[in-house]
Amino acid sequence: MEATIGLEIHVRLRTTSKLFCGCSTDSADAEPNANTCPICLGFPGSKPKINKKAVEHGIRIAKALNCSLAPAVRFSRKSYFYPDMPKNYQITQYEQPLAEAGYLVLNGRRIRIRRVHLEEDPARLVHVGGDITSSLYNLIDYNRSGVPLAEIVTEPDIADTREARLFLEKLGVTLDHLGVYDPHAEGSLRVDANVSVDGGSRVEVKNITGYRNVEKALSFEAVRQRSMARMGVDVARETRHYDSGTGSTVSLRGKEQEEDYGYIVEPDLVRINLRPGWVETIEATMPELPDQRTMRLVEQYGITGFQAGIIVNAGLEMSLFYEECCRLYGDAETVANWLVTYLLKSLNYLGLTLGESGVKPGTFVELLTLIDEGVISQRTAKELIKDYAAGGESPRRLVEEKGLALMPRGRLREVVAEVVAENPQAVEDYLGGTGKAAEYLVGQVLRRVRARADANVVRKIIIEMLESIGDNASVAQ
Amino acid sequence: MSDAEIDRGMVRRVAEAAHLSLTDEELERYERQLKVILEAFRELDEVDTQGVEPSYHPVELEGVLRDDEVSHWSWDPLANSAHREDGYFRGPRIQ
Amino acid sequence: MYRAFNHLPESLRAGDEGRLSGVYVSVKDNVCVEGMPSTAGSRVLEGYVPPFDATVVAKCRLEGAAILGKTAQDEFGFGTFNVNTPYGVPLNPHDPERSPGGSSGGAAVVTAAAEFPHLAISESTGGSISCPASFCGVVGVTPTYGRTSRWGLIDYANSLDKIGCMGKTVRDAALLLSVISGPDRYDSTVLHAPVDDYVARADEPVEGLRVGVPREYFGEGVDQGVSEAVWRGIKRLEERGAEISEVSLPFTRYSLSSYYIIAMAEASTNLAKFCGLRYGLHMPLEGTFDEYFSAVRSAGFGDEAKRRIILGTYARMAGYRDAYYLKALRVRTRVIEDFKRVFGDVDVLAAPTMPVVAPRFDEVADMEPIQHYMMDVLTVAPNLAGIPMASVPCGESDGMPVGLHVMADHLGEADVIRATAAVEEG
Repeated sequence: MEATIGLEIHVRLRTTSKLFCGCSTDSADAEPNANTCPICLGFPGSKPKINKKAVEHGIRIAKALNCSLAPAVRFSRKSYFYPDMPKNYQITQYEQPLAEAGYLVLNGRRIRIRRVHLEEDPARLVHVGGDITSSLYNLIDYNRSGVPLAEIVTEPDIADTREARLFLEKLGVTLDHLGVYDPHAEGSLRVDANVSVDGGSRVEVKNITGYRNVEKALSFEAVRQRSMARMGVDVARETRHYDSGTGSTVSLRGKEQEEDYGYIVEPDLVRINLRPGWVETIEATMPELPDQRTMRLVEQYGITGFQAGIIVNAGLEMSLFYEECCRLYGDAETVANWLVTYLLKSLNYLGLTLGESGVKPGTFVELLTLIDEGVISQRTAKELIKDYAAGGESPRRLVEEKGLALMPRGRLREVVAEVVAENPQAVEDYLGGTGKAAEYLVGQVLRRVRARADANVVRKIIIEMLESIGDNASVAQ
Repeated sequence: MSDAEIDRGMVRRVAEAAHLSLTDEELERYERQLKVILEAFRELDEVDTQGVEPSYHPVELEGVLRDDEVSHWSWDPLANSAHREDGYFRGPRIQ
Repeated sequence: MYRAFNHLPESLRAGDEGRLSGVYVSVKDNVCVEGMPSTAGSRVLEGYVPPFDATVVAKCRLEGAAILGKTAQDEFGFGTFNVNTPYGVPLNPHDPERSPGGSSGGAAVVTAAAEFPHLAISESTGGSISCPASFCGVVGVTPTYGRTSRWGLIDYANSLDKIGCMGKTVRDAALLLSVISGPDRYDSTVLHAPVDDYVARADEPVEGLRVGVPREYFGEGVDQGVSEAVWRGIKRLEERGAEISEVSLPFTRYSLSSYYIIAMAEASTNLAKFCGLRYGLHMPLEGTFDEYFSAVRSAGFGDEAKRRIILGTYARMAGYRDAYYLKALRVRTRVIEDFKRVFGDVDVLAAPTMPVVAPRFDEVADMEPIQHYMMDVLTVAPNLAGIPMASVPCGESDGMPVGLHVMADHLGEADVIRATAAVEEG
């Protein structure tokens, strides 16, 4: 659906401590308010101090998005009142943000980046007795308060909802390659979107977590706006909230007037000069970015651009996995084929990431080796990969447990001979010219051996055997 | 400097933004007092500040950063709050 | 004790060793002392007990001081006469019907009246150390912005607040200054220049010291008696070999507006955190957050605090922030340039600290807010510029103490101490 879309993305940066204090950012298993201190709780008398690594991550993002870096940065206070705000102002960047005027290339098109800046995350609210509009009261956990965020704002260059999702996927992979965020951590990427349809009013949709929800949220919104336009109803310029439960956007009843944030420069912090020497060091140690990696995989491993693109797009984890497998196995094309066509499909079906699955280069290569050794057929391997992807268990062991190993040729001949002996009518039919009778025998053999033989091999043996019976018969005559 | 005079409506709007609910008496008194104060501030219009940079601090300070390390505070964050539940702070509803 | 304390601890413990052993240090209520209630003179922080010491307090403890208690002040520092407080208003020991000055009224009162070894940790944003020191006849030192750490200071205006000290004599104040000065790892705005032995500086002669007397500071708003007492003090410097000359600081008159706009803009953001959730005044949790926050804040803040919050919010709103907030910051640059220029020719400046002696409480009650602000006219400029200054008693007028204000360039504390010590000897 066509629309004019601009995105505002908040990325939780991968640092050990928070943006302005030494509290840990790792709160996944923590009790509420366990990772707090007077600074991130906004106690009177406390003062912030800037985390150097957060700034460096910001610089990496700015460089990867081809932005102009500011010569110096400052932080500002953005004032508004809300229960998740420890100081009722957020320390962010307004006067002198980190970077501006960049772009990300998506399918040959440049999506322009207006701005990249750093700011702190507010606390986490738990709504009790309802949702955001109907709760009786809230519970506040400040573990999240003060975690560093990079805010990335695009120009309204995105043309439709699908492009929005593709943009976010590419951005996510880029940030993953930079090592500045954890793509698997819950809520590490949040999106607000500005949508307008057919030149109508611009509506802001907030609180879309994870880019999978983005296409849904934006599609809903675009449909909503288009329906209203068709009915001749004006679309109100407002802020709406995305409810992932219902897949819809809801209007937040509130003040009509636009919030005035009353920005001042943060007087507890000082200017940070982005010295050329410092920036150059960061640039020199920038990791390989997705587009570069895709090209290199094609060149280095001789795989197709399509395959390389899929591998890279599946995340940094997957790229590294691929290259390690190639190193262990050697045949890069075979690895790519099996990875792209079968492994990824299984993982997607199971809803697992590579890390979660337990799949490792060593065991994956083992699977491919089993095929080469003739221990299992390709068909068996395609079936086996589903079980393998679920737990990463050694394929060799799986084959043993499930009795999937191909029967040795000699033993297979014995079984075929048994089946032929048991079915004289079929033999007669075949020799009489009914080719289909051989298929019947193949089926009988397969029923007996199941996955332990390749159908083509069985057919070959049966036909050989039948032909030799025929020859003998004619010789006998 | 703005010619927009501060009137009662403006005082109420600004107070609301700052989450202060004023009585009528306060509104009336503040309107009167703030008008006088803002009038006095108008003298800054006389100062030529063309090309002058703002001084966010009175002394030149730059480049204070901390290393990305965890330092743990051993304390009870909820000790000063009357509104708490199961380790959380309790807060008022949104709407 | 003249209602000087907001809080007194149950027991006092002084250390055996250190530069402050045997000394009692009182702490202005907006400077946090772990375990001791801290209200910054406001109802909105009623019951708040800080979980940490301010750096300056920690430094005093390390030197063996006993923390005496939390001294009274104008709410959050908003005031020149210490009358803006819901808690007791301290009384001037020289005349209990007169104001002790503000906002550090309590600190000055204890310093003047204590008959035991005592030093006061105090704080200045626009003159809150100098003014009460002048009114109560004690020494008050405001160091260069950043000379002392603000970690643990309940903020009024972060680019203007400085923690300083008061003592009966210059050497007393200098001792505390040496102890509390210096950087820490919590405050990003501290200065890293080495800390001097300020007590030793007090013994240095002022021969050849170039003293500038700014003509704008002796204008028609300054009381005749005050002016005369100050000139007598300046004469004493001259008798000791200092070179006196007249200088001009034309941007003085704009300092007041520039100061108040910046201070209120910053203060209005600092005070936003007080909303009845994590500390301080609480109410039953009813209504929406907008309603609850407004209820707590309206009940907890005094009149002057509300006025400054409104003005400060207005000054930084879109549409007004260029004309007020940014303009004031640019004027500040010009004020600083003014001082820098003058310090190219002189080492220190000498002027009256306040245009009057301590007024009577009934006189204060008759004053409009704008008149309160204008009383700061002589202290705001050096405070805005963040330069070091000290007020030293130099005589009397109408039976009340008069303070002489000595100012120096950034990190010029040594010259300030040297000069005020020489004035004192008279």
